[in-house]
Amino acid sequence: MAENPTMQVWTGRAVFTFVMIAIIFIQLLPLDTRPDNWAAPDLMLTGALAWTARRPDFAPVFLVAALFLLADFLFQRPPGLWTGLMVIMTEIFRTRARHIRNVPLMLEWGSVAAGVVVITLVYRVALTIVMTPQPPLGLTLIQMAMTIAIYPLVVVIAHFIFGVARPAPGQTDSLGHRI
Amino acid sequence: MARDRQSEDYVTPLRRLFVGLLVLAMLGLFLIWRIDSPRVERFRAAVIDRVVPSFEWALVPVTGLVNLAQDFQSYQQLAAQNDDLRRELQQMKAWKEAAAQLQQENAKLLGLNNVRLDPQLTFVTGVVMTDSGSPFRQSVLVNVGARDGILDGWATMDGIGLVGRISGVGQEISRVILLTDTSSRIPVTVQPSGQRAILAGDNTLNPPIEFLDDADVVRPGDLVVTSGDGGVFPPDLQVGQVARGTDGRLRVRLSADYERLKFLRVLRAQGHEIITDPGGLLAPATTKAVDVITDATDG
Repeated sequence: MAENPTMQVWTGRAVFTFVMIAIIFIQLLPLDTRPDNWAAPDLMLTGALAWTARRPDFAPVFLVAALFLLADFLFQRPPGLWTGLMVIMTEIFRTRARHIRNVPLMLEWGSVAAGVVVITLVYRVALTIVMTPQPPLGLTLIQMAMTIAIYPLVVVIAHFIFGVARPAPGQTDSLGHRI
Repeated sequence: MARDRQSEDYVTPLRRLFVGLLVLAMLGLFLIWRIDSPRVERFRAAVIDRVVPSFEWALVPVTGLVNLAQDFQSYQQLAAQNDDLRRELQQMKAWKEAAAQLQQENAKLLGLNNVRLDPQLTFVTGVVMTDSGSPFRQSVLVNVGARDGILDGWATMDGIGLVGRISGVGQEISRVILLTDTSSRIPVTVQPSGQRAILAGDNTLNPPIEFLDDADVVRPGDLVVTSGDGGVFPPDLQVGQVARGTDGRLRVRLSADYERLKFLRVLRAQGHEIITDPGGLLAPATTKAVDVITDATDG
């Protein structure tokens, strides 16, 4: 794989898709149908952010949009809104990826935390504006905090298991472009 | 940044345009959903209908394995549970005796009164395939759908109590909105006082009772059954028992076992006949009326 970078990018995309589908799949398992009084972290959100902040070429925008739209439909969310926000958010991280590459993990974590807070708030405000029934605020806040807290772990897993490493400065793809 | 952007100069604006259009399309979809929800929900049902069955080969064994592991953990508590069960069994024997006597008496009384229980209330049993996948939504997918004649709005029970209602039917699959979902509203009656109320899901295991006329006559422990108001559900399906929540509100401890929803019965409610006319006037038949009747029979 390493000797053919185009191949490597496509493998990375396949891995990203696989991870996202696996997350959807695990969340759909009917293990416990009681309502929880806490909310698990939104792994899809952290996953997508970790990928776009570190290897944006592994998570192209059409893939992000398709996967999140599928999740919107399967998870009974209002279709489109969360996907749209996620596309905007990952685009912002994508343009900053080159910059984020050089900062320490704490700073990266900080910007991700800010992003998660903003997207959660915007989502809630948008739902309020169109008067859609909303989940309890407490649950949303718990989920937000958990999502932020889990980010370093997701980064570590993405790095060591799925090979999402920040590209070294000056690394080029198969056509000689810098990535 | 000393990046050579020459080669990408024509790509970047196009890409931006594409992303902008994508975001617009997504937000547009959201607005369409908000305006014309049924159409988009039908589309959602179609998507789920296609996607989830293709997961099924993996969903079933994985769920089975995890449940197996959980069962294995629970073996540790088996001894204590066994003792409890023996004790309960002793009590149950007494109740069983009482129930048998009551059943006989009930049958006798029904026979005496010539009561006809609803003969059209049959059910289809489905297996739970997935849950909603989100902590904010309480619903499950069952593997029966339009193919099996399922219609929107039908009541769903597990062996004991009401679980929810069908909302969204695909060809082979349908979604059950559980009573605990924030959008679930069920008309109920609290027995024995006969108070009508609404059971409003709020994403907790014990949904609160709302719009209760007189809360003083309702006590914790009272039985809650569906009232059949508005033709939403057949009447007298068991829902649960009244309990007082930690916040002081009256809540319902649901009879259905929400911990392990596995098999669900979908009740085929046929809808009851509704009497609309106020009833004819009972008066001696005049000659004119008689003429009309004879004309009608001749014609």
